[in-house]
Amino acid sequence: MDDEGKARRTVLRGLATSLGVAALPWAEMARAAHDAHAAMQTPDPSTYTLFNATDAADVEALTSQIVPGGATPGAREAGVTFFIDRALSSFFSHWRLGFLDGLQKFQATCRAQCPQAARFAVLSDENQVEFLRTVDTTSFFDQARLLTLCGMFSSQKYGGNRAGAGWKLIGFEDQHVFEPPFGYYDRDYPGFTAQPEKGS
Amino acid sequence: MSARRFRNSESVDFVIVGSGAAGGVLARELAGANLSVVVLEQGPRLAPAEFEHDELKYWFMGGITADVRRNPQTFRRDATQKAEVPMVRTPLVYARAVGGSTLHYTANYWRFREIDFRERSVLGEISGTGFADWPISYAELEPYYTRVDWEVGVSGLAGVCPFEPPRTKGYPMPPLPVKSSGVLFERGARKLGLHPVPAPMAINSVAYNGRPGCVHCGFCHGFACEVMAKASTLTTMIPAAEATGNCEIRADSYVSRIEVDKRGRATGVAYFDGERREHFQRARAVVLAANGGETPRLLLNSANAAFPHGLANSSGLVGKYLMFNYTARALGTFEHELNEYKSVQVTRILHDFYDSDPKRGFYGGGGLDARIGPQPTTWALRTATEGPGWGAAFKERLQEFPRSMQVACHSTSLPLESNNITIDPTVKDAWGIPAIRVTYKDHPDDLAIARFLQDRGAEILDAAGALRVTRAPVSDSSLAFHLLGTCRMGDDPAKSVVDRHHRSHDIANLFMCDGSSLVTSGRGQPTMTIQALAMRAGEHIANFARRNEI
Repeated sequence: MDDEGKARRTVLRGLATSLGVAALPWAEMARAAHDAHAAMQTPDPSTYTLFNATDAADVEALTSQIVPGGATPGAREAGVTFFIDRALSSFFSHWRLGFLDGLQKFQATCRAQCPQAARFAVLSDENQVEFLRTVDTTSFFDQARLLTLCGMFSSQKYGGNRAGAGWKLIGFEDQHVFEPPFGYYDRDYPGFTAQPEKGS
Repeated sequence: MSARRFRNSESVDFVIVGSGAAGGVLARELAGANLSVVVLEQGPRLAPAEFEHDELKYWFMGGITADVRRNPQTFRRDATQKAEVPMVRTPLVYARAVGGSTLHYTANYWRFREIDFRERSVLGEISGTGFADWPISYAELEPYYTRVDWEVGVSGLAGVCPFEPPRTKGYPMPPLPVKSSGVLFERGARKLGLHPVPAPMAINSVAYNGRPGCVHCGFCHGFACEVMAKASTLTTMIPAAEATGNCEIRADSYVSRIEVDKRGRATGVAYFDGERREHFQRARAVVLAANGGETPRLLLNSANAAFPHGLANSSGLVGKYLMFNYTARALGTFEHELNEYKSVQVTRILHDFYDSDPKRGFYGGGGLDARIGPQPTTWALRTATEGPGWGAAFKERLQEFPRSMQVACHSTSLPLESNNITIDPTVKDAWGIPAIRVTYKDHPDDLAIARFLQDRGAEILDAAGALRVTRAPVSDSSLAFHLLGTCRMGDDPAKSVVDRHHRSHDIANLFMCDGSSLVTSGRGQPTMTIQALAMRAGEHIANFARRNEI
C-alpha cells in the first residue's frame, strides 16, 4: 500500500470512528481525500521490465489498432503497453506465460502471412488491419484486448490511463461525489406522481 | 459495550458460519436474545475507509471476492463435461470479508410477492423440475420484511406500485433522487401503459440509523461503500450484535468442516485462522449462513462414516436445485448525456411482468429496472462483445458511455437437480480444502422469459426515444451473484434439506439459513428475502435455545 493510500484511509477511518458519523460533512471530506490520493498516483514510465524492444513495438502497434489514436488519444497515448508490461510482471503474472507464448505465435503467423515486413509493428497501417482481421478471434487477441482495455480505463496507479486519457475519451469524470441533476434528462424532472391503478 | 471474546474450548450457544446478509442478521438476533455467539468469517474485517474506487482491483484482481488461484472453483455446463477453473472470475461471485456480499451488492431490496410462495399450487407441476411451494407464506414473512425495511434501512415509496404485496408500514426513507435512466424508463414505460415506480434500495437517501446519506459516487455494484450509506451488515447488524456483549465476530476464520458426534449431533466446526493454524470452536448448535455455494460445500466436505454423502443430506438434495436468476439486458443510446456512472445503480423499476402467464407458452416472470451501464473497464469489455470489437468503429462506440443506459430484466430460474454444487474431485484451494464444482445450464423456459422481458425492455427504450437499441445476447449463464436453492426449505424430509424453521431434517442442532434455503428463485433481488428469513429464523432458533431444544 502506498503512503498516500494509507494517509487517506487513516483520515477516513479516524472520522468514521468518531461520534455522530451521520452528521459529518461526508461529501467534502471524501472529495478532499480522494483528490489528494489521485494526485499521487501517476507513475513515471521509463523502462519495460518484461518486453524487449521488438515485443514492446509489436504490442504497442497491436493495442493501438484495438483503440486507435487520432483526434482523440488511443491506447498508445494512454500508455497501455507500459501497463501490460507492468501487469504481466506483477498483478497479472499468472497470465504472463500464456501472453508471451501467444505473442510469439502472433509474430510467427505475421511473418508467414506478411513476408514483406520483418514484424507486425513495421507493416503499413492498412496491412496491420488486414492481418488482424485474420487473427481477431484467437484467444491471444482476446487477452490482448482485455489487457488493452484494462490499461486504458483502470486507475492510473497501475501505469495506464495516462493523464486520465481513457476516462477523458469516454467522458468519465474521476470525482468522488456528485449531486443531482446527474444528466440531461433528470434536470427538469417534476417529481414522481402515482398512476391510476392497473386496468382502471 | 465492547465486543466479547470467547475461547475455542468454551462451548458457545451458537457458532455461525458467515457474516453476510443472513449471518449478520442471525448474529444480532441470537446475541440480542442473550445467547452466546461466535461468527466465523473467512475473509478479513475491513474498515469502510479501506474500500476503494478501483475497478481493476475489485473486478479483475479478486478484490474482496476471490482470487482464482487461491480460491478456485470449477465450472461445467453438464455432467458430461470436465469442469475447468475460469481465467478471471470464479463462477460464483461473493464477497469474502465481514459483511459478505452485502458489501458489494447493488442493494435492490424487492420483497417477494404472495405468488412466489405458492406458485406451484397455482400453476401446477413443471415436469423435469423441482418446482415446489414454500412451506411458509408471504403473510408469515411480512412482519420480517417490514423489520428489514426499518432496521436495515430501505429507501422507497410505498403505495404507488399496483402490484405491491400487502405491507404493514411504509419505507423509513424517501426514494433516492431519480437519474436520467429513471426518467427515460418512466417516460417510455408510461407511454406503453406500464407502471414504473421508484426503486426500493437499501441505500440511505438521507441520514438514517447513524449512517449518512448517499454521496452518489456511483461505485455500488461490485464495490463496498466507504461512506456507509449503502447498508451492509458490516455497518448495521454486526455492530449491533457486538453491542449486546454476547457476540464475537472472528474474521480470517475459514471453516473447513462441521464435526458430528456418535449421537449424530453437531459439536462445532474446524477452521483455519489467518496464519492457517487449525482450531476447533465448540458450540451447542451450528448455523450455516455461508451462502448458497459455501453452505452446501461445507456440508458435502463434512462427510464421515455416519454421513457418507455429506451432512444433512438424507434427501440427496444438498447442493441441488441451484438457481442463479437470469439478467437479460437491453441497451439504449440517447442523444444527450445521462452520466449513468454517477449515483446508485437503479432508481426506477417495474413489476408489470412479474407473474408467469401460461399464455406465453413457458414458465417465468420478472422485474425490470433502469440502470447504469457498468464502470469504464467493464463497459469497454462489454462493448467489445456487442459490435465491432476493435478499431475506429469500436472507439466510437466506447464514446457513447455517458449517453447510454440499460434496462436490466431480472427473471426466474427453475430448480433443476442437474444444476448443482458438488465437490470437485481434484481441485483444492490454497488451504487444501476441496473446491466447489458448479454444474449449470439454464432451463429453456428461463431463457425464454429472459428474451421475452428483454423485448419489453427494448420497447421501453424505443418508446423513451433511444437513438439505438441493442440486445445483449441471451445465452447460458456461467457467472452468478445470486446463489439460491441448494439446501431448500420444506416440510417433507425426503424433498427438502431444512424445515420451515431452517433446522436440518437430519441433525437437530444444525441450521442453514441463507440463499440456499429458497425454494423458488423469485424474480432476482433475493437479499431482502434472505434477510427477512434470517430475522424470522433468528426468532425461532432463539426460542428453541431457550427451551433447550437445540
